[in-house]
Amino acid sequence: MIEHVPVLLVVAPIVGGALPLLVGLLTDRAGWSVATLTLGVHAALAAWLVATVAGGQPVVYEVGGFAAPYGIELVVDGLSAAVVGLVSVVSLGVLAYARRAGPHTNSFYTLYLLLVAGLSGMSITGDVFNLYVFLEITGLAAYALVASGDQDAAAVAALRYLIIGTFGASLYLLGVGYLLVATGTLNMADLATKIPQVAGGYTSTLILAAFGLMTAGLAVKVALYPVHTWQPDAYANSPDSVSTLISALVSTVAAYSLARIVFSVFTVDFFAAVPLAQDALFAVAAISVVVGSALAVSQRDVRRMLAYSSVSQFGLVIAGFAVASSTAVVGAIIHLVGHAVMKGGLFATAGIIERKTGARTIEEYAGLTDRAPVAAGAFAVLAFSMVGVPPAVGFVGKWYIVLGAVEVGAWALVAVLLLSTVLTLAYFARLVESMYFTDAPTAAEAEAVAEPEAAGAAIPDGGDAAVSPGMVAVAVAAAVLAVALGLAFPGVEQALENSLPFLP
Amino acid sequence: MSGRDQAPLYVESPIIMTTVRVVAPFVLTFGLFIMLHGADSPGGGFQGGVIAGSVVMMTAFAFGIDATREWIDARAIVGLTSLGVLTFAGIGLGAMALDGAFLQYDVYAPYISHASKYGIELVELAIGGIVAGVVVGLFFVLSAGFGHADGGEEA
Repeated sequence: MIEHVPVLLVVAPIVGGALPLLVGLLTDRAGWSVATLTLGVHAALAAWLVATVAGGQPVVYEVGGFAAPYGIELVVDGLSAAVVGLVSVVSLGVLAYARRAGPHTNSFYTLYLLLVAGLSGMSITGDVFNLYVFLEITGLAAYALVASGDQDAAAVAALRYLIIGTFGASLYLLGVGYLLVATGTLNMADLATKIPQVAGGYTSTLILAAFGLMTAGLAVKVALYPVHTWQPDAYANSPDSVSTLISALVSTVAAYSLARIVFSVFTVDFFAAVPLAQDALFAVAAISVVVGSALAVSQRDVRRMLAYSSVSQFGLVIAGFAVASSTAVVGAIIHLVGHAVMKGGLFATAGIIERKTGARTIEEYAGLTDRAPVAAGAFAVLAFSMVGVPPAVGFVGKWYIVLGAVEVGAWALVAVLLLSTVLTLAYFARLVESMYFTDAPTAAEAEAVAEPEAAGAAIPDGGDAAVSPGMVAVAVAAAVLAVALGLAFPGVEQALENSLPFLP
Repeated sequence: MSGRDQAPLYVESPIIMTTVRVVAPFVLTFGLFIMLHGADSPGGGFQGGVIAGSVVMMTAFAFGIDATREWIDARAIVGLTSLGVLTFAGIGLGAMALDGAFLQYDVYAPYISHASKYGIELVELAIGGIVAGVVVGLFFVLSAGFGHADGGEEA
């Protein structure tokens, strides 16, 4: 039974996703329990997988017993195990948040589990077409989750996300078609051996077009500048639980897929043969870092600021991948995982702060320590971690990326990373300064602002308080995890590097 | 919302009602035919499911959407979708219980003749059920108009 774990990681949430609707015929509030149970099982399976892969050997599973290049293969190596572990931990954690924060409908939990199924599938598949299928499952679930907010803006954001996201997935699919025409196979490992044998080798027009289309399609899903336009609205207008979940996971797994396509399908030899492709990927990522940070600095709404911050941080991750030296890639992976924890935590904290005090903009965050001390503390820790203050995980990731860049002499990346750190400091320091050192608006003013919104948030939940201990626990856990991962990562760095055999 | 003030979209027509009554069984049969042919020829659960789902839409155009909504229990639509998912997963997991890989149809061979073919056909029927359920569900949700935050079907 134990060898079936990879496929069960996908099947368990799909089966779990069918149950809330069925059980929903009998009772209204069964969704949360079903989701918790399912994701508990998912976490146990993921833990086993991580422990096994940490031993050094990848786990391979042939779906339906059809042998690999023709059948669909699931391949779990160190990188995919890290991502699937992240998906499992974060999705289980956000459930604790969603229990009070809602939405409470059964269909919300069905979508939630479908999203987890899609993300797990994207993380472990070894087949480029299968990756497209899971990309679409993830996308459709994410569009519907964004639309589950009760404001009109949520519907508009979801529609925009739907159109742009589908465009990105279609570009990716077109690229897969080109690869199939060129090589006659869809299996990633098989593609890696067959692409160099195509007439013209790596510089064949078909292969170059496929690379361009696939990376462009995934860049839309990652939300790199200038194809990030779906992302700020989707993050800022969806319900708190949803923005926490998707900001932590959806772009993260898409960035993982981009790395998987670059390193496991096209391989570093492709970069060696076509330096232009490497430079182009790096240039897009670098522009994304700078423009994303600049846009974040110019925002007043905290959630939009966090969203643009993601555009910039993912630029950094992809730039690390584009350098393609083993140190830089390890750094990019650490930053990928660390960013998921930090950004999810920041969105969770922003949700708590809004429910407690009604504050949404940077001005309204003034003097927050008096009104919401724990949330403000968690926010500050996560913000400094994102800037890259040691010993938090944000520092470790950036450190390895810089180290990798210096090793191969990619001075442009060093400059971009330093600039990004300064800009990140600019937008987060402004906020932390406002929280800790600016006086709150006079008590009467604050009450007048806070009361109606806080009451408005509490009523639809039907609960006695808008913020539950579980929600605060999620925010604090994210802050603790951001620091703990920073302390733990140097220990696993060697294990991570060993599990990436595709790097020079 | 504004649609409620205008003349009703539904107009009773004996021609349409009679045609739909005659055609509906054939369309449903054709939908099943397409679903069952997915195993070894063009067709399959997705196309067949849409055709089967279109029977309900035809009925709604002939007899009115609200009448059809009352006629078809919402629970039946949800049940069809969920049971489709569970059937698919059940066939896959059953193969694992018999020491095969997920969805390895040939492990059923000692118990059923032509196990692979029947296995695939059952999976196609399950997919057809999911697709028909979702299509019909989406149709009813959309026709209910906007402003109803509840009753959201899955994507």
